[in-house]
Amino acid sequence: MSDRGRPARGPMLALLGIAAIGQRAFLTLWRQPVLVVSTMIFPVVYLVILGNAMNRPLELVPLAVVDEAGNAYSAECRRGVLALQSGRRLVSASFVGDRAAALDGLRRGRYRGIWILPFGLSPTGPAPSFIGDNTDRFSVETLETALQQIWREASAPRDVAPAVPAVQLDAYPYLDYLTYLGPAVVCLAIFMGSMVSGGLQVLEDRMYGYHEGYLVTPITTGTLVAGHVLAGAIVASLAGGLVLAAILVITPLSVAGSGSVAAAAATVFLTSTAIAALWFLLFARARSASLLRGMFGIINVLLFFPSGALYPVESYPPWLASLSAADPLTYGVRALRNLLLRGATAHAVYSDWVFLATFTLVCGVLTKVLFRREV
Amino acid sequence: MTSPRPIEVERLSRKFGAFVADDEISFSVPPGQIFGLLGPNGAGKTTLIRMLTTLLPPTSGTARVEGHDVVRDKSAVRRAIGTVSQAQTTDENLTVRENLAVQGKMYGLWGRALRERIEHRLKQVGLWERRGQIARHLSGGMRRRLEIARGVLHRPRVLFLDEPTTGLDPQSRRAIWDMFGELRSHDPELAIILTTHQMEEADHLCDRIAILDGGRILCEDSPAALKRGLTTGERVELETDRAISDEDRRGIAEEGATDVRFASPTRVSFTAKPGEATGRRVARLLEIEGYHIVHLTIAMATLEDVFFSFTGRALREAPPAP
Repeated sequence: MSDRGRPARGPMLALLGIAAIGQRAFLTLWRQPVLVVSTMIFPVVYLVILGNAMNRPLELVPLAVVDEAGNAYSAECRRGVLALQSGRRLVSASFVGDRAAALDGLRRGRYRGIWILPFGLSPTGPAPSFIGDNTDRFSVETLETALQQIWREASAPRDVAPAVPAVQLDAYPYLDYLTYLGPAVVCLAIFMGSMVSGGLQVLEDRMYGYHEGYLVTPITTGTLVAGHVLAGAIVASLAGGLVLAAILVITPLSVAGSGSVAAAAATVFLTSTAIAALWFLLFARARSASLLRGMFGIINVLLFFPSGALYPVESYPPWLASLSAADPLTYGVRALRNLLLRGATAHAVYSDWVFLATFTLVCGVLTKVLFRREV
Repeated sequence: MTSPRPIEVERLSRKFGAFVADDEISFSVPPGQIFGLLGPNGAGKTTLIRMLTTLLPPTSGTARVEGHDVVRDKSAVRRAIGTVSQAQTTDENLTVRENLAVQGKMYGLWGRALRERIEHRLKQVGLWERRGQIARHLSGGMRRRLEIARGVLHRPRVLFLDEPTTGLDPQSRRAIWDMFGELRSHDPELAIILTTHQMEEADHLCDRIAILDGGRILCEDSPAALKRGLTTGERVELETDRAISDEDRRGIAEEGATDVRFASPTRVSFTAKPGEATGRRVARLLEIEGYHIVHLTIAMATLEDVFFSFTGRALREAPPAP
C-alpha cells in the first residue's frame, strides 16, 4: 500500500492534537446525556430558583401593634400600618392589647416584629419602639424602615404632612436581583461546564490510562494541556452562552446593544478558558477522583462567592477582597455586568479581558511544568 | 553505514528507591522479529516497556529505538513506536472508528489518508463491520483488537504489546494470535516486543524469548533452542501389549534412557535426552524384540521447564524476586 499523506509535524501536529482532544471531549459529553443536562441545564434552573427565591418583595410579614397611647398620633400610626397592609401588602397586622401577649407571640414565632406605641406618644414625648425577631434580619430591617417612615409622617407638623403616608420601599436592591444575578449565573454555568469537561476529563483520562495513550504519541505536553483547556473552555462557553441567551430572553436588558452582547460572548469564552486552565492546574498531579469530590465544594465556594456574583465586591472585608481580586470569576462577572446591565462597550472591559487571558496563560504554563509525562 | 536495529538496549536499569525493577538489561531486536519478554509478575517487564516507550526515564544505561535515544530524542522515538498497554486506552464512549480517528490525529494523520488507514487497519483486525459501534459494547477480545489496530495505525517500526491477551478467553486469545500473522505478512519489517507470563503464548508467537526474573534477563534465545538446551530432556511413556522382560528392561537403560520407571509390567516411562533420539531407539528395540507398542506419549519440554531450570521455581507460582 502506498504511503499517502505524510504525517504532519510541528504546529500542524499540535493543531491536530488539540482537535483530537476536542473531538473526544465533545463526543464523550454528547454520548453522556446526564452530563449534558447537568452542565447546561443546572445553571438555568439555578437562575430561575435563586432568582425567584430572592427576587420577590416581602409580603404579609406578621406584625403585632400594641397601642398603649390611644391618642391622635397612635391612631395616625395605626392608619399607616393598615395602609402598608392594604397597599404594599408588606405586613399582616394584628392589634394586640398588651405587651406581654405580643412578646409571647413573637417568641412563638407568630409575629416577626412588635410595634409598641407607648402611653403619651407624641413628637416631643415618647416615640414608638420596635422589637424585631432578629433571627430574620432581612424582614426585620425592612419592617423597621417602613415603620420609622410611618412615624416620621405621623409625627410631622400637621400642615405639612400629606394625607396618606408615602411609603417607598421599592428602592430596596432586591427588585433588580434577577438582573443582577444574571451574569453570576452565566459564570456558574461556566464553572460547571469547565469542571465536567475540563477537570473531570483530565482526571478520568489519567485514571483510566487514556493519558498514557496520549503520552506515547508524538504530541507534546503543551499540546495536551492546550487541548484539554480548549476543550473544557468550549464546552464551558456553550453552557455559559446558553445561560446568557436565556437571560437575554427572560430579563429585559434593553441597554445592551448588539456590540455589548458580542463583547459579552467574548467575555464568556475568556472566562471559560481561565476557569478550564485553573481546573487543569489543580489536577495536574491529581491521582484520584476522591480529590475532585473533596475539592469541588471548596473550589465552588472559593471561586463563586468572592466573585461578587451574589453580593457586591465593595462590601467585602480586605482579606476577602484580595481573594476576590485573584478570582477570574470576579472579572467575568464584572465585565458581564458592565456590558449587559450598564450597556458598556468592549473598551470598558479590556482590562478584565487582559486579566483573564493572562490568568489562562499563567495557569497553562504552570500546568505544563507540573504535568508529569512519567505517570 | 548499517541502519540501526529497531531496538538496542544496553545495560538498562531502573530503580525505585532501593528497589531495582530492572537490572542492567541488554538485548537487541532486528526488523521483523517478535521478541518476547517472559517472566512472572514483578519481573520488570512492564517497567522495561515503559522505559522503551519514553514513559519512564531509566536510572542508568541506554536504549535506542530505530537509533533514537529514549531519553534524548523522545519525540522521534514516539513517532517510531506503537503501543498496546495494559491500561485501558480505548474511550468507551467513542465508536470504533472515532477511537482510531482521535489516535490518528495524535500522529499527525488527517483527512483522506487517515480515513484510508482506519479502513485498512479495521479490516485487518476484523472490526470493519463494527466501525460504528460504541466501544463500550465490544467484547474484551474485540476491544483488544481495536487497541492493536490503534497501535499500528500510524505504521510504527516497533510495536510494544504489554500482555496482549491477559484476561481473554482462549478463543479470543487464538484470534489475537492469528492477527499477528496477518500483521507480519502486511509489514514484514515490523519489530514486535511482547510481554507475557503465558508460556504457550511466548512459545507460539515469539521468534526469540528473553526470560526475566527479578529484573534480570536469565536467558535469551529462540523458544526451540531454549528447550533444546534443557538438561532435563523429554519424558517418554510407553505401553506394550505384554510384560517387558528383565533383559529388555536392561536394554532400555542401555539405549540412554534415564530415570526409568515401571508403572506396571507393561508400562514404562523414562527421560530421553533431547536431540539423541533416545525415545525412538527404545521404541525400535522393543519392536525388534516382538513387543507391540499400544501407546506412546512424549511430553515435550516446555518453557515452563526452561523457567524452572533457571529459577528453581514454577513460573505461575513464582513470587516477585526479593
